[in-house]
Amino acid sequence: MNVAIKSITEQRDFVVSSSSLKEVRSFSREVFEKVNINQDLKDELVLAIAEAAQNIVKHAYQGEDTDDKMEIKISLEKGLLEIGFFDKGRPVEEKNVRHRKIDDIKPGGLGTFFIQQIMDAVVFKEGEKPWINHLVLTKNLNS
Amino acid sequence: MSYKVTEEGNISTVHLDGEIDMDVTEKAKEIIMPLIEAKKEVHLNLKEVQYMDSSGISVLIESHQKATELGTKVILKEISKSVLKVIMMAKLEQILNLD
Repeated sequence: MNVAIKSITEQRDFVVSSSSLKEVRSFSREVFEKVNINQDLKDELVLAIAEAAQNIVKHAYQGEDTDDKMEIKISLEKGLLEIGFFDKGRPVEEKNVRHRKIDDIKPGGLGTFFIQQIMDAVVFKEGEKPWINHLVLTKNLNS
Repeated sequence: MSYKVTEEGNISTVHLDGEIDMDVTEKAKEIIMPLIEAKKEVHLNLKEVQYMDSSGISVLIESHQKATELGTKVILKEISKSVLKVIMMAKLEQILNLD
């Protein structure tokens, strides 16, 4: 796949709130408009980013009101897409982050499943100060 | 998200419009659940829904399960391409009532 732009790095801060999710999607769509990939893939990537941001609101902050910001950084280098999420919420332990079994039909637990379906890799890192959590989603857009 | 509800006999049709995410799921449930609790057959028209995330899918699952429990049903009508894709990604096309 020809991704047209060889290199791109854009980042933005958002208040940790469900009301920011629309803004997160707008930012993501703006970035992917600059990349020559098909619309279906753009929509999937926007969904993965919005789900990861939603997880910060829901899990790292457990839906509490806060003035804290989360940062989202989208980088593309030679067709390799890396999306970083930084937050100052409760430390997330990777072993506790599981999507529900897909055959277990119940509301909730689908966001992580979607992220894993869409992206090539999902890696949780300890955030460097001032951040607590650093999530990295990657996908090779060349394949 | 905006919505419109029309009634015909025992069928309530909810026309949803816009983007359905975590920020509007409570509002969506407030619209849909009372209709199910009144044992109406609920048709959710999703033609104008341009985006739905896992929270929106949870509302569809919860509505479906509540309707089944109360002996009625929720039918998804005119599902937009983007919503259908997410339903299929969640492997729910055989579980939910799609028309």
